[in-house]
Amino acid sequence: MAKLYVQTAPPPDLNKNTEWFMYPGVWTTYILILFFSWLIVLSVFGCTPGMAWTVVNLFHFAVTYHFFHWKKGTPFAEDQGIYNTLTWWEQMDNGKQLTRNRKFLTVVPVVLYLIASHTTDYQHPMLFLNTLAVFVLVVAKFPNMHKVRIFGINAGS
Amino acid sequence: MVRLPYTTALTTLFSYGLLFAFGQLRDLFRKLLDWFRSKDLKGYAPICLGLEDFYVRRLYLRIQDCFGRPIASAPDAWIDVVERYSNDNNKTLHRTSNSTKCLNLGSYNYLGFAAADEYCTPRVIESLKKYSPSTCSVRVDGGTTQLHAELEELVARFVGKPAAVLFGMGYVTNSAIIPCLIGKGGLLISDSLNHNSIVNGARGSGATVRVFQHNSPSHLEEVLREQIAEGQPRTHRPWKKIIVIVEGIYSMEGELCKLPEIIAVCKKYKAYTYLDEAHSIGAIGKSGRGVCELLGVDPADVDIMMGTFTKSFGSCGGYIAASKEIIQYLKYTCPAHLYATSMSPPAVQQVISAIKVILGEDGSNRGAQKLARIRENSNFFRSELQKMGFEVLGDNDSPVMPIMLYNPAKIPAFSRECLRQNVAVVTVAFPATPLLLARARICISAAHTREDMIKGLEVISKVGDLVGIKYFPTEPPKLAKEAHKKPVAVILP
Repeated sequence: MAKLYVQTAPPPDLNKNTEWFMYPGVWTTYILILFFSWLIVLSVFGCTPGMAWTVVNLFHFAVTYHFFHWKKGTPFAEDQGIYNTLTWWEQMDNGKQLTRNRKFLTVVPVVLYLIASHTTDYQHPMLFLNTLAVFVLVVAKFPNMHKVRIFGINAGS
Repeated sequence: MVRLPYTTALTTLFSYGLLFAFGQLRDLFRKLLDWFRSKDLKGYAPICLGLEDFYVRRLYLRIQDCFGRPIASAPDAWIDVVERYSNDNNKTLHRTSNSTKCLNLGSYNYLGFAAADEYCTPRVIESLKKYSPSTCSVRVDGGTTQLHAELEELVARFVGKPAAVLFGMGYVTNSAIIPCLIGKGGLLISDSLNHNSIVNGARGSGATVRVFQHNSPSHLEEVLREQIAEGQPRTHRPWKKIIVIVEGIYSMEGELCKLPEIIAVCKKYKAYTYLDEAHSIGAIGKSGRGVCELLGVDPADVDIMMGTFTKSFGSCGGYIAASKEIIQYLKYTCPAHLYATSMSPPAVQQVISAIKVILGEDGSNRGAQKLARIRENSNFFRSELQKMGFEVLGDNDSPVMPIMLYNPAKIPAFSRECLRQNVAVVTVAFPATPLLLARARICISAAHTREDMIKGLEVISKVGDLVGIKYFPTEPPKLAKEAHKKPVAVILP
């Protein structure tokens, strides 16, 4: 099989915490990780495909909420703390809203929700949990929520 | 422009994700296990905020033995690397008293002045006896010796500018000069891959900083037009000053700067130019005068030229060369000149002798020989590596050649395996390079002989096969003669 090559110019993003997201292959890796985690959940728990998708959806909710919208700052000290009050989502693309990457990341939870609710035949309690997950994630990614801290939660450094 | 196989991009992202996940899990368990242990900070705040040291603790320390290796000899073509061992999985390293002699492919020893030289070393020892190792004073008090004045004139003459000023440290030269040249209300436009010293100086100056896409004069023009039209943020007043900062050779890419086009753009929009020639001065150009000579740019067109003595001249320190008025201004505003100890006199003498050798003023043609040798060596090494199928960045004639590794696991694999076979290489990862683009950076020197380079190539080829970094198809050896003009790994438009 011929090797596929991708070519890219280095993106002019100074924030090393978010720069890696602008390289080719990131979207594919994200989708592949979700798919393989569904397979792993199916093999470990031996449940129905619908339950497995619900488990993946909820786990995805927990992980992405924690790392994109809760943890602030960067995991290294070179930038001398200029991003210490911004979550990863707010640092993305230098704060510019509605870029391609942001739109992609907003669509993924919605697609997961649709797959999970379809494969569980819209039964409760899975439907409720899935809906809650997608609601929180999508609202957190709205442009109007940029730098907003509701009731001061997570406002401290 | 980097070109990588798609599967490599996917696996690299996945590997980093896995490392990150394991690091977070370990942190979680550490937090749980330490929940009930009293921290007793006595009311003081913790030194590191939650996530700040995550990269160092969970990723860097795992492969710490690949970085910061102590050496026990001068960094010539062959170098003695001290052996270290660790009892707790690389969290702490202990030196032994053994050292192994390795081929040195990591030092910035472009012209071979790092080891004892027949012209330079006797004169350095003489100046050590006459002027002692330190001037024990700042330049403005009692730290300007005859040697300093001589070197400033010599550097100005060498580079082609009217005047120059010296500093004791190369990093400080950038980070202390940029705040003197520009302040709040000014605009700094710097290349996206500029060195950390420039980034630090830009942050410390208080000016607005904008970045343009690496080595792209068209994007620079776009950024300049946008910024000049908008003016200062919020008030929209015109900018007080605009300075564009570029480097001669980018140390992580080995690429030359597109200097003529960038100067043309800056002249059109009346912006000042600042050229950092840390890696290119003394190493490229027909007589070693750097990237201006190589690309045919008149030094009078570049407003401020900066360089260091660490790379090609085998010493330490940096200089700024510009017009007489700018240098006079810097001499009474720059804190590195007013408050920092002046350069050590033997180091100054080393640079004076090295420049004399390069210019041929020592009465022999060793300078010209060294320059020809480093050009030959770099081109030979680079073309051989490309023939073997490695992805090597950098332009022709540049002595810096990064070999792309990409996957985080290949960094320690390449480094340790090469060390086992007695070749010392420097591997660079995040955050000095972008996350996905980890690389092993080879620096060729004029002191390397053909045999040294062939041995280096053999070892790198063997290790490259083991580690799996030959991303491009190899050129079969019998076609090598006809394919001399057309390289297999097509370098991009």
